Amino acid sequence: MKNAFHPADLAGIQVRPSRLWTQSLGWVLFLLGIALYVNLSVARHKENPDDRVAPSAAQIYQGIKTAALEPAEEDDPLDPGATLAERLTHSMLWKDTVASARRFLIALGLLVPAILLGLHMAIFPYFGALFQRFVLFFDKIVALSLLPILFIAFGIEEWSKIMLMVIGVAPTLILDSYNIARSVPREQIVKAFTLKSTNLDVAYRVVLKQVLPQIINSVRLNLKPLALFLFAGEMIASTDGLAYRIAIMRRHMGMDIILPYVLWVALLLFVMDALLRIANRRLHPWYQPL
Amino acid sequence: MYRVLSKGWTLLRGVLITVALLIASFALPAQAEAPTFTVGWSVYAGWNPYFYMARSGILKRWADKYGIVIKVQRFDYAASLDAFVSKNIDACTMTNMEALDMPAAAGVDSTSVIIGDYSNGNDAVLARNNLTLAQLPGRSILLVQKTVSEYLLERAMVINGLSGDLPHLKLLNTSDSDIVGAYLGDRHNQVAVTWKPLVSEILAQDSGVKELFDSSKIPGEILDLLVVRTEVLNRPDGSGVRFAKAITGAWYETMAELTGSGSAAARAISGSAAASDDSVASYKEQLQTTHLFASPQSATQFATDAALKQKMDLVRQFCFHHDLLGQNIHSVDDVAILYPDGSIQGKKDRVRLRMDATYMKLAAQGKL
Repeated sequence: MKNAFHPADLAGIQVRPSRLWTQSLGWVLFLLGIALYVNLSVARHKENPDDRVAPSAAQIYQGIKTAALEPAEEDDPLDPGATLAERLTHSMLWKDTVASARRFLIALGLLVPAILLGLHMAIFPYFGALFQRFVLFFDKIVALSLLPILFIAFGIEEWSKIMLMVIGVAPTLILDSYNIARSVPREQIVKAFTLKSTNLDVAYRVVLKQVLPQIINSVRLNLKPLALFLFAGEMIASTDGLAYRIAIMRRHMGMDIILPYVLWVALLLFVMDALLRIANRRLHPWYQPL
Repeated sequence: MYRVLSKGWTLLRGVLITVALLIASFALPAQAEAPTFTVGWSVYAGWNPYFYMARSGILKRWADKYGIVIKVQRFDYAASLDAFVSKNIDACTMTNMEALDMPAAAGVDSTSVIIGDYSNGNDAVLARNNLTLAQLPGRSILLVQKTVSEYLLERAMVINGLSGDLPHLKLLNTSDSDIVGAYLGDRHNQVAVTWKPLVSEILAQDSGVKELFDSSKIPGEILDLLVVRTEVLNRPDGSGVRFAKAITGAWYETMAELTGSGSAAARAISGSAAASDDSVASYKEQLQTTHLFASPQSATQFATDAALKQKMDLVRQFCFHHDLLGQNIHSVDDVAILYPDGSIQGKKDRVRLRMDATYMKLAAQGKL
């Protein structure tokens, strides 16, 4: 049954907007944002054709082309005969993405033990007694303020940045996994023991298995803090990486490169989040709250 | 008490207040609408005097003389440039290099009104283990990239005949807020390029660190300017010119105090040191490596000297070769510089930075 749209529907809870409406409404704010930007950019360019604060579409296009096809300024120029694939894989954007992604994935890998620690703290009382108070305290430390110590401990190159991410995100993740694992009903654990489970069986095959989807969701929520710490580290001391480039470009208002980089980072994070979400659904079809 | 007052009375009072405010808001600007100008400055030995100038009342006296209001606002350096380029402030302190690669390259026509000083040792290349410049390739060098630090490093290599090694330098972009800790914290970091007071902090805390090169070997290349947007200077009501005159007059009065002697000089120095929370001793030490143009005569002479063009040419070539002028600038001549003698470096129709000696000259002739 299709009803024509009526203004009063806007305040209705029981209304069922048609698919056309829901689909198109979802894009309205995007269009509005783009329109506002274009308006700003056009106004600024009318006043100053060389404006770099709000680059025009042509400038951004040129910026994307430079970023995706030209090598970074500090690298050797490519020979003119290079193929498109060669140009892409030797480009500034590629180089920075690889450098940042490497740091990001290593940090993500180092967070796996953090999750397991949270699990153990929840299940094994002695673990909990040893770690819980300390992690609770450590969670409240602002990781960025530890940076000078990290530089001394891990050097200024890769590891200080990776450790900044790990130290920044791990306590939250530990506490979250701890809370999630604690919420598994005690009866289940008792029951598993009556069925002759060992301690490790209970920890990994009863508790971990059923809290894993929630933990993956927790990791998804922590992707953004992780990226934030990565950016902070790269902006403070680095020779490559996405945030390094943004920091360098800021020095001479290279917004034509910065804007594509910002959108690219957003896209990467979105894709990573989507991949985790899909994997979660595939792996745990029985868990469907979100 | 409030209960006694009727609702009508409160409403009436509200209306009365609103009307009074409206009248006041219309009446006040009509009475005294002095044009207001904002100057942004950031912490640096050669710019701290702006803080003292505003505090001590010198600036207000000159502004009153020209019938304008001048506000002075402190920024972080990068933020001050952003504010200037986006036209939120009218004038800003910056080096000649940033004048070229920030406002000028972004199409904001800018005029340098005062050449305040040049770095005469404030910027330095530091190294451990008695390294020489020839040994730098392959070692990481901590510095804030794309700033005068990188310029200084390049000049050091070129002057010492090592320009062939430039592509092999491993630069590690390090924020100025963390460079001291990062460099001192790890002995594997052997080389750093930075500026005072960070240089002094590093040298004081580690006796194994030596200066390999400093800006006193390239005198007059790293200039510290007061830059005004040209459209502000050219305002039809002449207020922009009055602003330039007032701030130039105030600046040289401050300089006379600062470089003079007696209690006035002591006051000016401690007032300028306070601008960056430096001790007087530390600020004096920074001033020793800052070549202040104490008199408008010396500044005018420097600005009108042909050598300035050669020095600016080195800077603009550096900016161009490091893409600092922007992706869509394909020739170094696209961001042209106008000099006091009327000559232009670059394309005639693309003058973006004007080295103007008018106001310094007026100050030198005592005509402000």
